[in-house]
Amino acid sequence: MVNSAVSKIKVDPRDAKLSMAHFYVAFIALALGGLMGLLQTLVRSGKYELPGGIGYYQILTVHGVMMGLVLTTFFIMGFQYAAVSRTAGTHSNAARRTGWIGFWTMTAGTAMAATMVLLNKASVLYTFYAPLQAHWIFYLGLTLVVVGSWIDGAAQIMTYAKWRKNNPGKPSPLLSFMAVINTVLWIVATLGVAATVLFQLLPWSLGLVDTVDVLVSRTLFWYFGHPLVYFWLLPAYMCWYTIIPKIIGGKIFSDSLARLSFILFLLFSIPVGFHHQLTEPGIDPAWKFFQVVLTFMVVIPSLMTAFSLFATFERYGRSKGATGLFGWFKVLPWGDARFTVPFIGMASFIPAGAGGIINASNQMDQVVHNTIWITGHFHLTAATSVVLTFFGISYWLIPHLTGRKLTKAMNKLGIIQGWVWFIGMVFMSGAMHFEGLLGGPRRSAFSTYGGAKQAAEWIPYQIAQAVGGSILFLGIILVLIIFINLAFFAPKGEEEFPVGEAENPQESAPMVFENWKLWLGITAALILFAYTIPFIDIIQNAPPGSKGFKTW
Amino acid sequence: MAKAELKTKHKTEIEDSSSLKGTLASVFLLGFFIIITWVSVYYLFVERF
Repeated sequence: MVNSAVSKIKVDPRDAKLSMAHFYVAFIALALGGLMGLLQTLVRSGKYELPGGIGYYQILTVHGVMMGLVLTTFFIMGFQYAAVSRTAGTHSNAARRTGWIGFWTMTAGTAMAATMVLLNKASVLYTFYAPLQAHWIFYLGLTLVVVGSWIDGAAQIMTYAKWRKNNPGKPSPLLSFMAVINTVLWIVATLGVAATVLFQLLPWSLGLVDTVDVLVSRTLFWYFGHPLVYFWLLPAYMCWYTIIPKIIGGKIFSDSLARLSFILFLLFSIPVGFHHQLTEPGIDPAWKFFQVVLTFMVVIPSLMTAFSLFATFERYGRSKGATGLFGWFKVLPWGDARFTVPFIGMASFIPAGAGGIINASNQMDQVVHNTIWITGHFHLTAATSVVLTFFGISYWLIPHLTGRKLTKAMNKLGIIQGWVWFIGMVFMSGAMHFEGLLGGPRRSAFSTYGGAKQAAEWIPYQIAQAVGGSILFLGIILVLIIFINLAFFAPKGEEEFPVGEAENPQESAPMVFENWKLWLGITAALILFAYTIPFIDIIQNAPPGSKGFKTW
Repeated sequence: MAKAELKTKHKTEIEDSSSLKGTLASVFLLGFFIIITWVSVYYLFVERF
């Protein structure tokens, strides 16, 4: 028992290699996507024009695809693959081979989609809404990314299933359980995007059919698009729930609470896509209302998470002798990048979550829909809470996998990076939120809109976004310096893969949490209930389909 | 007598270190923040539409 526990403390080098392969792709995407982000904010300031006739919408597509789809998916799969190996045991040869096949399929798909975007054949933004029509190779590439991620995820499920078989009647390791929940969430969610790409967009872009049903494709996209953001978020929650307590020297507040909140995310993050389509005609308002109610259910696991994290911090602080209502806050390890960088991410989730509740409220969506407020919102959720946590994870995971050490100098640079990001984001996302409330549109290049007075009010905010974007780009350069150092140059040594323990180890999680038939059954029932009737309605009352448009 | 005293003292200490008062206050602050931002944008809606 002791031996097997010790042998699992380090991720097996063969598994480490596959995880690192994912991270190389993820950080290349970060470099490329980050540069495009900087250029976008400069263009929108009105003080800079792109050279050589490069289009704004092309770089916007590169930014969205690289950051939203490539960086996230590759990082998450690499992280979860290592987390399962660390907590449920080294992957079998079969599982590892499966993982490699998944990785190469995703990489090939990414290369195909990226090539088409760079050739300006697919400037359809990362949401690739019909009737904007990209080259068919772009859609085929995206299909391979999704299929590759299924194969990649299967490797994690195989190792989890092996652990369950070898340990009957025992709850699985928390981190592995969470990774599998997220993989299952991803598989169920991507069925929607796979359906629209395979049955609508590919035949249409190949010229096999002339027209596309726009509302069906958007509905399938948002069936996928909302759980997509939870697929980004849950790995950050894995770090907050299970890794941060170990880093600060505390305990996980409750293992069962963590599992329950992940199950609630699985149930309630999928049948809610209509809240992205509140202003869309053609969907019955009663069904929009129903999905908005389900959307608000996600507040429950989110606040459970907030409570649990505050409790972990307070318990730890009080054990260190902190007194008073907030004395525990001061004794947290602010000099440790592995804690501070994800903590900035956690704190950013407070305004991010509050903004999300506004977006999902039908009336308030009229105020913010299609404004740059939304862009500001997901730069707080995905581009701060999620990616700062991912950076915080890589500051110990990369050296752990490459057999190196996070040096004092790199730790310090990591903390600086976190604060630089925070300052840049206050400027950029803050200005986006305010400009959005004044009606400033998202997804648009610089324009004075024929000298309109209202548009003139937006320009100072766009300059603030360029300032923020420049600071954020500096943050990206710092991340890349740290990544390259930790992957290739940091001194050899042993860096810990921290995994927290529950405060009360006697209290083992109820086995009902591992009852997949039950949870998948409820997930399917909720999805069928929320989508079947409106889908029939959308298809039966469809307007004529649309031919493809290329606006670039 | 002395033994009983020691026991009482010990108990008080445990209660204090396991206190979650700060957590309760933090979650309430978080809740208020959400309500304030929501109501502010709701007023924008009422004013404009």
